[in-house]
Amino acid sequence: MIKIRAVYEKRGRAKYISHLDLNRCMQRTFKRSGIPVWYTEGFNPHIYINFALPLSLGYESRCEIMDFNITEGVPFKELIESLNKAMPEGIFISKIYNPTTKHTAIKYADFKITFSGDVAESFNNFMSRDQINTIKKTKKGEKEIDLKPDINVISLEETDGKTILVLRLPAGTEKNLNPSLVTDLFVPEFGNTEILSVERVAILDDKQKEFV
Amino acid sequence: MLREKIEKFLLDVQKPARYIGGESGSIIKDKKDVSVSFAFCFPDTYDIGMSHLGMKILYSLINSREEYSCERVFAPGIDFEEIMRREDIPLYSLETITPVKDFDFIGFTMQYELSYTNVLNMLELAGIPVMASNRDDRLFNIVCAGGPCVCNPEPLADFFDLFILGEGEEVNLELMDLYKQMKEQGASKSEFLLEASKIKGIYVPSLYDVTYNEDGTVKAVTAQENVPAVVKKRIIDDFDNVFYPDNFVVPFTDIVHNRVSVEVLRGCIRGCRFCQAGFIYRPFREKSAKNVCEQARTLCENTGYEELSLASLSTSDHSEIAEIVGGLIPYTEKEHVNLSLPSLRVDNFSKELMDEIKKVRKSGLTFAPEAGTQRLRDVINKNVTEEELMRTCRTAFEGGYAGVKLYFMMGLPTETDEDIKGMAELAQRVIDLYYSLPTRPKGRGVQVSISTATFVPKPFTPFEFEPQATREEIMHKQQLLIDSITSKKIRASWHDPSTSILEAVLARGDRRLGQVIYKAWKNGSKFDSWGEHFNFEYWDKAFSDCGLNMEFYASRKREYDEVMPWDHLDYYISKEFLIRENKKAHNAETTPHCRQNCAACGVTKETGRACF
Repeated sequence: MIKIRAVYEKRGRAKYISHLDLNRCMQRTFKRSGIPVWYTEGFNPHIYINFALPLSLGYESRCEIMDFNITEGVPFKELIESLNKAMPEGIFISKIYNPTTKHTAIKYADFKITFSGDVAESFNNFMSRDQINTIKKTKKGEKEIDLKPDINVISLEETDGKTILVLRLPAGTEKNLNPSLVTDLFVPEFGNTEILSVERVAILDDKQKEFV
Repeated sequence: MLREKIEKFLLDVQKPARYIGGESGSIIKDKKDVSVSFAFCFPDTYDIGMSHLGMKILYSLINSREEYSCERVFAPGIDFEEIMRREDIPLYSLETITPVKDFDFIGFTMQYELSYTNVLNMLELAGIPVMASNRDDRLFNIVCAGGPCVCNPEPLADFFDLFILGEGEEVNLELMDLYKQMKEQGASKSEFLLEASKIKGIYVPSLYDVTYNEDGTVKAVTAQENVPAVVKKRIIDDFDNVFYPDNFVVPFTDIVHNRVSVEVLRGCIRGCRFCQAGFIYRPFREKSAKNVCEQARTLCENTGYEELSLASLSTSDHSEIAEIVGGLIPYTEKEHVNLSLPSLRVDNFSKELMDEIKKVRKSGLTFAPEAGTQRLRDVINKNVTEEELMRTCRTAFEGGYAGVKLYFMMGLPTETDEDIKGMAELAQRVIDLYYSLPTRPKGRGVQVSISTATFVPKPFTPFEFEPQATREEIMHKQQLLIDSITSKKIRASWHDPSTSILEAVLARGDRRLGQVIYKAWKNGSKFDSWGEHFNFEYWDKAFSDCGLNMEFYASRKREYDEVMPWDHLDYYISKEFLIRENKKAHNAETTPHCRQNCAACGVTKETGRACF
């Protein structure tokens, strides 16, 4: 049994595949691909796939990560080709390797948010407050949190009547912030804009280096 | 353009993946390579429509022709429909996100009567006039329908340009070929329809005039000049080698039947007198075990599905069922595919077969004795004895099953209170059997579920003459059943008879019902088969506005010599046979199945050879 990690893109029509449906979709993709994938050995055997981070419905990504196992050695190039041939439109594996880290090492994720119109100045004003408080729903109930210490603006620029914002937010099992927590506060307040797209562009470890 | 508009709102609706296509197995063609396009419309939501096997077959078939394209269209859910109407988003196809009104053919599959108003709703969402007579004469946007309900398409006649009777694998392409040819010649729609009416299996309702007697029954259906007086349904002669898809569209969201299905046989030998499918899909034809296994394997490989089902009206009637199951098991086990065999009959459900099923996964067992007493089972020609049922339950219990579901119909012809009590008694005897077995599963209580449906008399069955039980009668029977159940181990469930009444009305209705359907839809009726959306009042009001009543269609006994609204359509089941079977039913006489003895239903006159 050989451990494999795949980095894939999820774009276009595929962004409407929910996280729950994605698992089923990948099970079938693996089956179609014909690669010697490893099945769990329980009462109800299924293909073992472990997704690093869920991606919200409607978001695109260039760096999704999933782990699986194969039962015999296959060149990575061949694996990528077989899997990509079987993938639905919009999902594309860019990289495959043997992992040396665990998903728990993931601490941050970068999101590229595209707004209509020029909102750079308003967003800067939004960020200049002392606190950015919102209600976060958790399994235990609702609680008010201050987002500000966790929001890291990587870049913010206006081009062609659009504003592109890249945010770095905590991600992973310990602390996870969805960019919608920020945009849901900002967009209604600013009013005159809408979100054109959201894309996850990087997954990072505790040193803010790319997670591999 | 349209796609961007749609995507703006997709995250506001439930399960958006249903509205954007892009699934594995979907076939996307470049419009400039396509000469004739076909929008295959299922008049219900994606979740239901995507489970339909006929659509998968015809979708692949049309797309197998290089210059023809077929795309899928479903009814939007209530939430998305609201947005579509508000934002002016026309009904569109999933493959290329093209408005339905840009297609040459707009074809609906009519699987159940309670989807009729959805057709009107979808046409309106597409921006196509709902009434065929309001569409222009350009040769374009041919609105057509096929499927079991079109064996009596009269209630739908106002809305369609043509109907396709019987099996579509050949005639659909013939129709598209004719369209292509006449389009090139610059013909009009009416010229095309006249030519199309000469193709076997094509019924153009506007070319037939209906007259009525004073009592409201049909006097005659008369074909116009140069139009066949009787329209015959189409049959595939060589079923074993007929086109079958090598791939299915694999949905992202979970749907009702989410698996590979291989059709193993068509038609049915049984002749259960209530069952329309058992007659209109005749003759009985099998696919060879070799082809079944090959197709199953190819489809599993191409779709990646983890479940495989053998589809037919009665899979265990396949003469090579053991070879099929035996041939599939090594593959399905190795590839972790779950094999399921729906539609097994009580009388030939062997231990060997069950062991094979159980090897993969233990699913529930369902039997359909249909009636509570042997007398009534003889009336409906459900040739299953209690002994057989008990023997099968015994096999099942000994094999580890502790739950059985029993399906019954309520309101069958000649049914008495004794027959209703018989359901509860039969369920009780199944429970007694369970506790009499020393080998029963240890530590588990048995559960028997009784599920009842209201009987609906259908065209082309020996019960087409029969009145449906009235609402009051059904309510009485349901109460009686509840009162007859004394054990907590028996659970009973039933349906509101309203939908069954409407189903009976529409199934045997005439052309005058077009106005009723139109009004009911205008009143707000859609998704009538969904309990939460069905509103009987919409229909009640529509009937009274049109001066018609449901009882005339549903609960009136029809004489043998009455002209039925569908008598000009030939499904090869002769009227003499239906009358003969109806008389036998009233004498509780059974008819052996087709393999034992040919019952002379009439189908061999068409095929020119014995079925067995």
